[in-house]
Amino acid sequence: MSVLAAEGIGLSLDGKRILDSISHVFRRGRVTALLGPNGAGKSTLLDCLAALRKPDDGAATLDGQDVQQIDRRVRARAIGLLPQAADVHWNIDVTTLVGLGRMPHRGRWGETAADRDAVARALAATDMTGLADQGVEHLSGGERGRALLARVLAGEPDWLLADEPLASLDPGHQLDVLARLRSIADAGSGVVLVLHDLHLAARIADDAVLLRDGKVVAAGPAGDVLTAPLIAQAYGVDVEIGLTPAGHRFILPIAR
Amino acid sequence: MIRLLALPIAAALLTSAAPMRPPRIVSINPCIDAVLVRVADPAQIAGISHYSQDPRATSIPLGVANRFHATSGTAEEVVALRPDMVLTGPHTEPATVAALKRLHITLVQYKVPESVAESITQVRDIATAVRHPERGAALAARIAAAATPSRATPVSALIWQSGGLVPGSGTLPDELLRRGGFRNMSAAYGLKKWDVLPLEYLIAKPPRVLLSTAAAETGEDRVTSHPAVRRLARHIAVAPYPTRLMNCGGPTIIDAMARLRQVRSGFAA
Amino acid sequence: MTRLTLWLVLALVLAACLSVASGKVWVPLDAWTAADPRSIIIVELRLPRTLLALLVGGALGLSGAVMQGYLRNPLADPGLFGVSSGAAFGAVVSLYFGYAVQLWLLPAFALAGAGVTMALLALIAGRSGSLILFTLAGMILTSITGSLTALAISLAPTPFVSSQIVTWLMGALTDRSWDDITVALPLTVVGAGLLATTARSLDALTLGEQAARSVGVDPGRLQLVVIAGTALCVGAAVASAGIIGFVGLIVPHMVRPFAGNRPSAILLPSALGGAVLLTVADSLVRLAPTVSELRLGIAMSMLGGPFFLYLLIRMRRRLA
Repeated sequence: MSVLAAEGIGLSLDGKRILDSISHVFRRGRVTALLGPNGAGKSTLLDCLAALRKPDDGAATLDGQDVQQIDRRVRARAIGLLPQAADVHWNIDVTTLVGLGRMPHRGRWGETAADRDAVARALAATDMTGLADQGVEHLSGGERGRALLARVLAGEPDWLLADEPLASLDPGHQLDVLARLRSIADAGSGVVLVLHDLHLAARIADDAVLLRDGKVVAAGPAGDVLTAPLIAQAYGVDVEIGLTPAGHRFILPIAR
Repeated sequence: MIRLLALPIAAALLTSAAPMRPPRIVSINPCIDAVLVRVADPAQIAGISHYSQDPRATSIPLGVANRFHATSGTAEEVVALRPDMVLTGPHTEPATVAALKRLHITLVQYKVPESVAESITQVRDIATAVRHPERGAALAARIAAAATPSRATPVSALIWQSGGLVPGSGTLPDELLRRGGFRNMSAAYGLKKWDVLPLEYLIAKPPRVLLSTAAAETGEDRVTSHPAVRRLARHIAVAPYPTRLMNCGGPTIIDAMARLRQVRSGFAA
Repeated sequence: MTRLTLWLVLALVLAACLSVASGKVWVPLDAWTAADPRSIIIVELRLPRTLLALLVGGALGLSGAVMQGYLRNPLADPGLFGVSSGAAFGAVVSLYFGYAVQLWLLPAFALAGAGVTMALLALIAGRSGSLILFTLAGMILTSITGSLTALAISLAPTPFVSSQIVTWLMGALTDRSWDDITVALPLTVVGAGLLATTARSLDALTLGEQAARSVGVDPGRLQLVVIAGTALCVGAAVASAGIIGFVGLIVPHMVRPFAGNRPSAILLPSALGGAVLLTVADSLVRLAPTVSELRLGIAMSMLGGPFFLYLLIRMRRRLA
């Protein structure tokens, strides 16, 4: 399960062309950011990769096979999705919530030691071990965000697709999650993130796909994509890109 | 030789197998109760319907009804009374009918009588079932006498139950009206057997007499107290007509006819 | 077996004993032997009635738990999606035409009504997996079949027929027999079996539909299983007993404080709890000091309505 690709994906909704001829090969071991202004089609592309939407043209493929054709359980083990909506409909405890991520691995007979270990690792990775027995309704927004991330991590997928995973987090936890995603990629998984924060993308992304109006403006290593001209083309804003004295890249929007 | 003897032996066996005492009866229908208490021995009646002991629903004088054991009509209570026969009407709960049949209890269901003739036949049938045909014949004769058609000129009338329910052609109350010296206006309005009469029809073509069950019970209902009906008070006479007289045929016909003739006598012949 | 399950099974046994002992007729223990004719009451009337109460209560409780899990809404009730009023309309049609004289015709018509409604629901909401479509389709089907039932009542040829229909609709287990069990048992077992298979998917739906699909839930297939399972359970219940509401609504709520909030965890307790609740209610309607039995559907509404109100008040305090 090492190659996730978009092959000429096109999709229309209500007569409007949302995605047009999107092609890109995502690589494991790297963090790829899907960027672009609102309505560019980022979330829709992620949905296609996760097999939640069926493209009208082209396909999302995993190792050359159309993701829509892959058996559900096999696909669920390979691809983990963290959607933007942070719904948790019942007041279950965090351990149970995280345990839901093990569903693709669970056999007939309920949870195994392997499941429990995976859950424990996921809780530790998101710093949620202390809240393991807490009911979800009593968590703060940030804690809930981390619990939901732990759920995806518990599945130990080859590919982790996340739609705005940092949105509800305070800066401290944003850094934690970024670090966690980094180490997941370093451990060999592929990470694809939809982000609207350019500077966070600058911090974490190895590769980037920049979209505008459903088309690819640029795709490739983040350094090549996150340039002032390309960002101006996609977002319509002038930015200043630079390095802080400590060597961290920053991107600041300046003017339209 | 054996064949010659077979018939008399069979006959002897059959008659000896039949119980000599009159059968033990349970009725779970209040209209049948009304017939039963007049044709059966009190000792035969193992159970009557609980409706017969409710003053608002009974067709039997309460003093008589309270002498018997009442059931709510479930198979369980019936079985406990160990009847030879159960009598009921057509609208018993299907589950109860099925339960009694499965428990091999003889069940006889009688239709709701829709004419005087049907009612009289039913009375005779019930009396025969309880092994007292002579009482059935006597009661039938009294009913027939009470229902003798009136020779007076028919006066237009309507029986009005609460909610506007009106009995029409093909029902027992319709025939009683005719025999009592009235003409049932329901046909003139084009109503079916049992129908609800819109007030406009009533006002457009008012009957001379409105036999109202509400007038008998609560005094007035929404319809009879309707301003439109009030204004017609000069043209329509409202006469109370107890609901009790609408529920059953059989012996109730005697009381119903008495009431109808009483009302009719208030008008010119 | 968890402790909760053990307690519920114990309650079930006690409820069953209460039901077999309850009735307008007092049958002393020594009359239970085959020699005494009153034993017929026990064997042919009370035992099947008790078993049917357990089956119907269990079916409704389980359906309610599944519906609440599937719709992600604690106010869901199996009567919401049209099958129960469709089944009721079927039964009313048989009463209207006087067909109920044949014992097996009424359940047959009721099941036909349930089947048609189920097919329509599947056709409309289909494999879309869409909750809104499902809920609206259910509401519309309930509304249409309810109107048709009211029409049948208003067009009834005599007031006796309309009265019989209205009485049947109010729900009862009076005088049911082993024949009713032969109809209800297989349908309920199959329906419950189908519903039991949804447990994991219902848990996954806690995260919302997108995340659930990403962990392997097939929403179209799940919806068909939910429709089929609930239709069988509810269809069998209505065919046996008329319309009995509130069991599917209340029992999951009563069970959640003990079983936890996970949808899969409340399935079995809801089935057991529903069985206990209905059997106890059915015993109480026979023991109440009224001349005739209170209609079971009415009794459940009288229990369910105030409980539901209490639930809302408690929820309001939490939400406010």
